[in-house]
Amino acid sequence: MSSGNVAGSGSAAAAGGGGPCGACKFLRRKCVPECVFAPYFDSEQGAAHFAAVHKVFGASNVSKLLLHIPESRRLDTVITVCYEAQSRLRDPIHGCVAHIFNLQQQVVNLQQELSYLQAHIAAMHLPAPPPLQQQQQLLVPVSPAILDFSPIPVAYDLSTVVAPQSSWSLYPRQQIEPQRQFSNTASQAAVGVGGGCDLQEMARELLNRHAPPMVGCSNQTSSLPPKSC
Amino acid sequence: MNSSRCAACKHLRRRCPSDCIFAPYFPSNNPRRFAYVHKIFGASNVGKILQDLPVSYRGEAANTLCYEAYCRIKDPVYGCAGIVDQLNEQLKIAEYQLATIKAAITTALQPSYLLDQSLPML
Repeated sequence: MSSGNVAGSGSAAAAGGGGPCGACKFLRRKCVPECVFAPYFDSEQGAAHFAAVHKVFGASNVSKLLLHIPESRRLDTVITVCYEAQSRLRDPIHGCVAHIFNLQQQVVNLQQELSYLQAHIAAMHLPAPPPLQQQQQLLVPVSPAILDFSPIPVAYDLSTVVAPQSSWSLYPRQQIEPQRQFSNTASQAAVGVGGGCDLQEMARELLNRHAPPMVGCSNQTSSLPPKSC
Repeated sequence: MNSSRCAACKHLRRRCPSDCIFAPYFPSNNPRRFAYVHKIFGASNVGKILQDLPVSYRGEAANTLCYEAYCRIKDPVYGCAGIVDQLNEQLKIAEYQLATIKAAITTALQPSYLLDQSLPML
């Protein structure tokens, strides 16, 4: 394997003589120097994470996705793709959308409480606190009008996304008994213990691995707080 | 018959069988729904996900898959995670506003404040 691989930090298995990356190991194929997955899926735990990604999205689709994204943004892409894949394996019905529903409901509830209290403030003839943010937009509906493939030049704080959540779904899961795992092999490899802890751990692994400046990769804001699960 | 094919089978250019897994959730009048999930997840993966679920939950699963796919197409880097982050920010703002208002009300209800302001008792 070429040592000139962009993931030459020594963590990616494709660099040097470390063997195949986690993705190629899972796919049982030769890991080429220019493997798009190698910088992000190491040969040890990377295979487990990739198993989830492959199960939900498919290697080909993720490869195409990554190839259309600048290298500097691929780390965040991998983290969010892994997050969505893990979420979908845990909750095949809602995936990570359950989390969105939950947050959206919390926002709505708080806004209702705010409106109620603001009315009280007005009734008490008190000076009103700073106005509520008017740009609080609720979730967009699922029927989009525009198919836009251009990347949005915004960096998000992924620590708020991959942190463990106490309750993700508004829907009573106990009422159903769906097959929560697509296959024992993939899910046991992909779904770690501790709920969202494995996502944090995975993201932390990726970020620690990419901490030194790398060719073609710039440090984005995808940093996690050093807290334990 | 071509006219009875669902959006998925039309997209995949195949015959739509009577027990097509996609047909109930990807009607022919909304081809974009399937186009999104096909691009992000692939038809095979979507089919497997739906197949593994009880029939009563497949519609919901199809909807969330469509939404996830749409988010990923619109924001290839962050997908749904970007929405989560935005909502977390909105939550923080709303919580801050709520705390501010509650503090203002609490202050206003203090007896000394009421005496100073000559406000009517609630």
